[in-house]
Amino acid sequence: MKPNPFAGAAGSPLLDVDRVTVRFGGLVAVSELDLDVPQGSIVSVIGPNGAGKTTAFNCISGIYPPSAGSVRFKGRRLERSFSAATFARAMGVGLLTGLLFAAAAVDVDRLWMAVVKRGMITGEPFTAAGAMDRLRGYFRAELAIDQMAGKWRVVSADGAEVLAIKRDLTEARRVRDALQAAVTARRIGPGTVPDSTDLATTPEPAASAPELPKLKEELLDRLAAGKRNVRWRGWAGLLAGWLLGTAGTIAVWQRGRRSPHVVARAGISRTFQNVRLFHNMSVLENVLVGLDRTIPGGVLAMLLRTPANRRGEDVARGRALEELEFVGLTGDAGRIAGQLPYGDQRRLEIARALATGAELLLLDEPAAGMNPSETVQLTGLIERIRNRGVTVLLIEHHMNVVMRISDRVAVLDHGIKIAEGTPAEIKRDEKVIEAYLGSEG
Amino acid sequence: MSQPVPGFVPSTAPPGRPEGQRKLLARCWKFLAQRWEWSALTILAVAPLVVPALGGALGGQVTTLFIYCILALGLNVMVGYTGLVHLGIAAFFGIGAYVMAILTVPMFPFQIGFLAAAVISVLVTAGVGLALGAPTLRLRGDYLAIVTLGFGEVAKVTLRNLEQITGGMKGLNPVPPPGAGVTVGGINLGQAFAIDPRWFYYLTLLLLAGVVVAMRRLEDSRLGRAWMAVREDELAASAMGISATRVKLSAFAMSSAVAGLAGCLYAASLSTTADPNAYDFNRSIMVLCAVILGGLGSIPGTLLGVALLVGFDTVLAPWADSWIQQMNINPTGSSLLSFSGWRLAIFGLALVLVMRYRPEGLVPSRRIAAELHSAEGQA
Repeated sequence: MKPNPFAGAAGSPLLDVDRVTVRFGGLVAVSELDLDVPQGSIVSVIGPNGAGKTTAFNCISGIYPPSAGSVRFKGRRLERSFSAATFARAMGVGLLTGLLFAAAAVDVDRLWMAVVKRGMITGEPFTAAGAMDRLRGYFRAELAIDQMAGKWRVVSADGAEVLAIKRDLTEARRVRDALQAAVTARRIGPGTVPDSTDLATTPEPAASAPELPKLKEELLDRLAAGKRNVRWRGWAGLLAGWLLGTAGTIAVWQRGRRSPHVVARAGISRTFQNVRLFHNMSVLENVLVGLDRTIPGGVLAMLLRTPANRRGEDVARGRALEELEFVGLTGDAGRIAGQLPYGDQRRLEIARALATGAELLLLDEPAAGMNPSETVQLTGLIERIRNRGVTVLLIEHHMNVVMRISDRVAVLDHGIKIAEGTPAEIKRDEKVIEAYLGSEG
Repeated sequence: MSQPVPGFVPSTAPPGRPEGQRKLLARCWKFLAQRWEWSALTILAVAPLVVPALGGALGGQVTTLFIYCILALGLNVMVGYTGLVHLGIAAFFGIGAYVMAILTVPMFPFQIGFLAAAVISVLVTAGVGLALGAPTLRLRGDYLAIVTLGFGEVAKVTLRNLEQITGGMKGLNPVPPPGAGVTVGGINLGQAFAIDPRWFYYLTLLLLAGVVVAMRRLEDSRLGRAWMAVREDELAASAMGISATRVKLSAFAMSSAVAGLAGCLYAASLSTTADPNAYDFNRSIMVLCAVILGGLGSIPGTLLGVALLVGFDTVLAPWADSWIQQMNINPTGSSLLSFSGWRLAIFGLALVLVMRYRPEGLVPSRRIAAELHSAEGQA
């Protein structure tokens, strides 16, 4: 007794594979594959070895991107869109990288010395406003005062050039101001337009002119060029870092646009041809990984074991046990997955896939390596899965399984779909027989 | 090859005892093995009250041991749970220590309290971990090992070359003890910490216990399972809706944060960051060896591994050396007759023996043991 297989066939199909091509270099593994999977049905894909069945599966489940064509699930292409959050993340990462690059470019060590250490030498309390002033001073390449062995020194902003040494702080300050005026005058020079910050920092001429050390012409030039230099380095670093960070984030986003976890979260789950369980985790834990998203709370909730988190874990555990019961592994919940017999491992993989709450289940040769009685059990299990409302897309070589439970069968050969129809139609199809047995003559 | 006895639990008591006594002994063993945390914690908490030596140099050595335990538990998140090889954990240890020092030393204007500095340095190291993890997400195995190794060296050289910030080869000191200037109940906490090593002993023990509890909870939660799933089979995990990217990044961040916490404690307990060479490749490898020796992915294993390896290095070796000197066995000072001369040879031999006879580590995690022995059964 079979329930109506085409329950949801009237509307748009659950999965719509539209002219999908997968190429690996020059090799065409799947060519212009069209496949509709109606809701609530069991559709099988068969074909000789190397026909591109598993490649098609990998393409549907997001492991390979299709070279051409599209895969739609419930009418949607399962791709992460370029959202505002993606944009914000790219900008944020870009800004952080930019700041890092800029810090390296303007010499973070000397910047630290100028901003933090010089704030400590005069004995005045360290304030944020003072630090900001010194930070601005560093980027204007203003001369500064430093201390060494009990004497005050007038130094360039980055501390690389020592211009004068004085015993007295006020004296040193006066020398600094006068030298700064000379440097600023040099920078502005004839023929250039002073900017607003230059005018603001040009000091009044001192009442009693201090004895100024004579600066060599090229040193004066170097000091005058300091402002442009440090700003140029800062902006260049910021820009380079920003470009790198933003481009990197966008590249990573683009690569993961249709990654398997996005597809899985949309409601497509799968098993693998060569069983891929988490071998060293317990059977229960394997299924719990499938239920990962149903448990609420972040790291902090897990560390504090908040009631919501604990409840979530308990509910998930209950559901995991239900799934194990559904596939008939109730007694094995505590065992290590890798120690189960082969047939049980396949059933555990199905339980894990079902636990994700998938609406479409892709089974890749579930009966491979099973004995006849296990195969019969599996056939029953697949029918029960369909009766739960989960649509099944199946790759299988056991023809008795395929012909018994499929609503539709598609036949692939050399990456091309050569036939599609009900099992009875497929059995009679000339091309299919030829693909499997070869043509006469 | 015979199956090794599961860690710590002898299946039978020595023969020749009456049945009842044997059962009692077995039950005691079982209790100890199941409740090892509580037994160990009780013993360690009572020890300073009973053993006067812990008030002296030994107390400081054991404190260092606890700090290494925290560091190794941090490394275990990446290497043990998530299966990402990390050869640069010492860099994060160092960054934690330096951030702590920058925020507290009198040389710089910040001079904030111990707790705030610890929180900030844990956050900073987690951030640095993310910054290292994000571009290297697609790497696995050897390639990731090379990247983390390189990062460790880069971090060390950077710490050495930023002389204005980190003090270059001199390091930053003095890092004030926790609670400097705070008086609670008539006790000046800062002074107490500076004078009596037992204060640090209890502080680090408390934090170690906290980290162990945190790790146990993570192990048995959504995130821990996701870490292990990614270790077992990244593709299958992502086909189950787990974002491998986020899971690996969280492992990077968690691992770095815990290492950073260990670094903070290290700087505070030594009252200096020491020079950047203290955070070099050797230290990373030492901690990695401890994790592997004890058992990847196993908390008691990691702790035991550190106790054996680092304890051997920092407690036993100096003690044996001073004993040899006291007994006047080695008057000429020949390195062949000093214990430290043989230290690395013993270390290496122990590792070779463990890898030969117990490849899953001394106290293996249930899962890894299953892996190794199922492979053996099939072979």
